[in-house]
Amino acid sequence: MAQDDISFSDLIASSIHDMKNSLNLQVSALEKIAMQSRDKGDSATFDDLGRVIYQANRMNLNLIELLSLYKLGKSIYPVDINEHSVAELIEEAVLQNQTMMDFKGIRVSIDCAPDLFWYLDRELVKGVLVNALNNAYLYTHDMIHIEARHHDKLLQLRVEDNGRGYPERLLHQGDASSDKPVNFESGSTGLGFYFSDQVAKLHKNGALRGALSIENGGSLGGGCLVLHLP
Amino acid sequence: MALSFRQANILIIDDFQGMRTMLREFVKSMGVTAVDTASTGKDANQQLSTNKYDIVICDYNLGPGANGQQVLEEAKLKGHIGVSTVWVMVTAEKTQEMVMGAAEVKPDDYLLKPINQMLLENRLEKLITRKQCLAPIEAAVKALNYAEAIAQCDVQLKAKTINPQEILRVKSELLLATGNYSAAAALFESILNMREVAWALTGMGKICFHDKKYQEAKDIFQRVLRDNAVYMEASDWLAKTCSMLDQSAEAEKVLQEAVRISPNSPTRQKMLGDAAFRNGALDVAQAAFEKTIKMGEFSPHKAPSAYTSLAKVFADKQQPIEALKTLALSKREFKYNTEAAIQTAAAEGAVYHQMGQADKAEAAMAEAEQLIAKASGKVSAEVAIDVARSFFKLGQKDKACGLLQEVVKNNHENAEISKNIEALFEDHGLAAEGQALIAESRDAVVAINNQGVTLAKGGDLLGGANLLRSAAHKLPHSEVILINLCGLLIGMLSKEGKSHQIAGEARELLERVRHLNAANKNYHVYTAALNRIMGGR
Repeated sequence: MAQDDISFSDLIASSIHDMKNSLNLQVSALEKIAMQSRDKGDSATFDDLGRVIYQANRMNLNLIELLSLYKLGKSIYPVDINEHSVAELIEEAVLQNQTMMDFKGIRVSIDCAPDLFWYLDRELVKGVLVNALNNAYLYTHDMIHIEARHHDKLLQLRVEDNGRGYPERLLHQGDASSDKPVNFESGSTGLGFYFSDQVAKLHKNGALRGALSIENGGSLGGGCLVLHLP
Repeated sequence: MALSFRQANILIIDDFQGMRTMLREFVKSMGVTAVDTASTGKDANQQLSTNKYDIVICDYNLGPGANGQQVLEEAKLKGHIGVSTVWVMVTAEKTQEMVMGAAEVKPDDYLLKPINQMLLENRLEKLITRKQCLAPIEAAVKALNYAEAIAQCDVQLKAKTINPQEILRVKSELLLATGNYSAAAALFESILNMREVAWALTGMGKICFHDKKYQEAKDIFQRVLRDNAVYMEASDWLAKTCSMLDQSAEAEKVLQEAVRISPNSPTRQKMLGDAAFRNGALDVAQAAFEKTIKMGEFSPHKAPSAYTSLAKVFADKQQPIEALKTLALSKREFKYNTEAAIQTAAAEGAVYHQMGQADKAEAAMAEAEQLIAKASGKVSAEVAIDVARSFFKLGQKDKACGLLQEVVKNNHENAEISKNIEALFEDHGLAAEGQALIAESRDAVVAINNQGVTLAKGGDLLGGANLLRSAAHKLPHSEVILINLCGLLIGMLSKEGKSHQIAGEARELLERVRHLNAANKNYHVYTAALNRIMGGR
């Protein structure tokens, strides 16, 4: 029985490996074509490609999230909570989406002390950040701000934008400080939220547990996604 | 010395043409001109052996044949890459190798797809900086100068250029490797005071294990695994601890779970096979040994014991023909390996005996004996115990006991080896006799050792040294005798003045001790003392 599970997960993993290779090449080639069209002054093609690339990135993100959730559910995800530089983590998440942001002319600012280290699973938390950036990309007007703070035994990672913010209804359902899961049927990004919430809860220190919350306002006045890690 | 991209020699290893081209374009855009590519592990090793690379970007998944980890292991083992080479492993998803603390050879970092140029450049820059900080530590470790490596860790901890936790972890491993358990414990505690970190807690468990507090160690490893089910290092240690506590059924269960989580490690499959064989679970043992062999195919760590173990399983299953086939395979795989030949011959002896072919059994055992004699004592405890097992099967108890006495005497402080010998006697219904043999052999060594030390303390350094010299001649693997003799020689040097002959003898002893156990605490103390007295290095 157990053997079957492993080979099934191997099969999923290798398929995803393959799909990600294709996506990686696709995005890379599209980016190249986009740059060429920009240099030629073809802004219509440039904008179209920006949207296509955004969708490809979303697909890639969904693949990672699905695979991670599958493995977390089976207790075979190699969770690895270690001390990492928070500034580097944010930097990488931003770099991964830099071209995408450039297409839409979105400015991303970071506020994080260079000597801030925290205990976290690097890949999972980066996944949460990339997901948050993807969301913010969709809803922001033209600015995204990422902030990391050590606050009351918790690391607070905030991804804020200057869009219209979350609808009222979602704010109440999405109260991640309670143990109730977010109601995902109401939002189109259910997977991303669910994944992020799971990642938050995976982080523990003594009696403290990680949490995910959403709010409106913040430094840019739009939507804010906040990850609290103990 | 500062390495920059432009002058770097880069090798890209990926089985997928498209990815190779993309990665090559990325690094070329960064201004790198010297870029080579390889599409298979074999191809990569060929290139690594002829060119020197500063940076290797390697896909973990290379299709059939060796995977990225195995390519890395082979390159390290054969010395094709040095401490200054930056090795980045590219994967589509987070793999077990990325967190398992147990892998001996690790890449400098893992990079998860998708990769873009900015991401790659950013990561490579950071890795080069990090490598430059770690280089002095790694160089000292490679030169086996652990004291210097620890000092270099402290330098980096003060400089704070890279993650202090990473340095502390390296430092703790060095402290354990040099037998400085109290300092290691203090380091682990300081981390654990802030939070329950898996590697630090596992470290505490290792210290308990070393102190023979097995129950305590077991509790600790279980605690690590409760929160980090995939922390394989803790799971390996838990299995080892269960065996020491005579809980072999539980050890097997722990390893079953471990191979479920991480099925691709030949060493872990081997551990499972050993535990299952011990418990008489022959089907489990057979499957595990077969996997060990299959997985080891492309690994530089492949070992003959997987073959002989599988043969033993076949023999116990009353399938002697299969057993002989497996042993024939081992002979072919390890043609020039004396230890392998001894192990194989002994296993053949047992199988032929089982088949009722007394002549062939005798001949095989005679070959094993001859090879042992030819190896002049340089046979590992594992192999010697294997040969003794076959002698027991052939009813040649005296020969078995003779071999085992030597093993105990050479390793009288090694609890795991004693345990294995005890188990062997138990298997033949000779538990009491086994315990007596172990105790007597141990006492004999302790007595000689004490006598030598007493003579020396009474002022007769030369008398003590001569006593231990003859003991060391008979027991070339006894860490305790060798190191104490070395201590006496150093005592003579400091009391009676410099002598290059004695210093040379002491150095040779140190070298032998290091070979047996680099963690010997006195090894490092005596090396320093010798250097001080002789005014060298």
